[in-house]
Amino acid sequence: MVESEMNTMRLPEKSVEAGDVVVSIDNITKTYGGPGGILALEETSMQIRDCEFVSLIGPSGCGKSTLLRIVGGLIPYVGDAVTVLGRKVVSPLDEIGIVFQNANLLPWRTVVGNLRLGIEAGGARPADLDERIDSMIELLGLGGFEKRYPHELSGGMQQRVAIGQALIRNPRILLMDEPFGALDALTRDRMNIELLRIWEAQRKTVLLVTHSVVESVFLSDRVLVMSERPGRIIEDLRIDLPHPRDPKATRAAKVFGEYVVHLTELLGVI
Amino acid sequence: MAVQDSTARQGPKPVLRLNRNIVDAVVFFALLAALWEIAVRAFEIKEYLLPTPGAIFVAFWEYRTLIWQNGLVTFEEVIIGFLAAVVIGVAIAGTIFFVPVARRTIYPLVIALQGVPKVALAPLIIVWAGYGLSSKVIMVFLFAFFPIVISTLGGLNSTTENLSEHFRALRASRWFTFWRLQLPTALPNFIDGCKVAMPLAVIGAVVGEFVGSSDGLGNLILSATSSAKTDLTFATLLAVTALSLVLYGIIEALERFVWWRAK
Repeated sequence: MVESEMNTMRLPEKSVEAGDVVVSIDNITKTYGGPGGILALEETSMQIRDCEFVSLIGPSGCGKSTLLRIVGGLIPYVGDAVTVLGRKVVSPLDEIGIVFQNANLLPWRTVVGNLRLGIEAGGARPADLDERIDSMIELLGLGGFEKRYPHELSGGMQQRVAIGQALIRNPRILLMDEPFGALDALTRDRMNIELLRIWEAQRKTVLLVTHSVVESVFLSDRVLVMSERPGRIIEDLRIDLPHPRDPKATRAAKVFGEYVVHLTELLGVI
Repeated sequence: MAVQDSTARQGPKPVLRLNRNIVDAVVFFALLAALWEIAVRAFEIKEYLLPTPGAIFVAFWEYRTLIWQNGLVTFEEVIIGFLAAVVIGVAIAGTIFFVPVARRTIYPLVIALQGVPKVALAPLIIVWAGYGLSSKVIMVFLFAFFPIVISTLGGLNSTTENLSEHFRALRASRWFTFWRLQLPTALPNFIDGCKVAMPLAVIGAVVGEFVGSSDGLGNLILSATSSAKTDLTFATLLAVTALSLVLYGIIEALERFVWWRAK
């Protein structure tokens, strides 16, 4: 399956050049609980370019998950516009895959069944479904676990299946909401390396919401920092670390530590 | 495959435990029967008041054809009434779940109807539907219907917000979400409802037969008691209990297909 073919198939009317803005958020405001309710986001704006890996970090309850859900078309908003690939977002788009903090796997379906759900739910039944599942199993390193049920998998493996479920439809954009938040620290580090490997194999535009400064620096091209509620973007930091990133060399780099310190300071931790 | 593996791994153990369960139960019931036998003989209780377990088993064997024939009648009533309760109960639960107007109208009606003592309705049902099969099927339905509606409704409501959002993110249609998410999620609760409803269904059939019928186990109990064949009364009660247990066992066997309940 050739990536560029898929893209042209999906968007015949206009092609997106690498580096074009694919996600655009302009002056979005979100209030929970009607008028006089909690102001979650206030006049927030941001852009994400094609094939960029962007992380969104900020204190708990600052509205970063809300922003991700707005881009995903899962919740309504007030403001100028949220556009994805030039289209205004009003409901979930086919070009977007979402990974949540909970793996959200169906307990009565095997690994393969859960991966298949990613395609079946959209109503499609492509002829190459089996090949796609096989290559996804390989990409995720889940070989030998095809017939396992979610309760027989570790937390990290469950999250891999969830990532596969989002990727299998080959979306242009991947939204990840604290995907490793429920994992232990070591598993989380391993999953970061896995995610980087997957991303380098299948370049996507990624928006990752995370609490982890180290995770955001290690994975991203850009890190956006949000303020306390109501959330606003207070820093847009470019991470100048070369790709492909070697897990050891990247962490050992002097700038890596400097980025981490800078971001941790911004968050008011040190 | 994986599930088979895991059961294979712990293969021998459940078998041993099962045997232990059976042995314990058999010994316990044998002791109870022995006590009963001894008590009846020691206190010289008259046979027509309380027969001994031995006499009950003798009667059971002697009247086995009669019990079997009447048992089949009751069995038929229970099966038809129960299946009707499942089909209509699930349909009504689905309607209440998906149609807001139904939640405000049909739901309170169902709750109110459950408050009506169904035993008191039995004579009326006989008047309306006659002495035959249909009146008993209606009684079975009335007894079994409510737990099925309530449990199915509870099951449909137990889909987590996380999974609902996940299905929306996957752009699943409402129909797909119902078949692939809400229905499987509701199944364990539905089975629980069936487990409550099945013994009630048997009671419903017997109540119907008590009030008006020419056959069935309930009718047999009535005629045996009125002709002072207390041993046959007890033998028939045994048959009713056995019928109820067998039907309950069938539902428990079906429960294996919803093994994901605790996962």
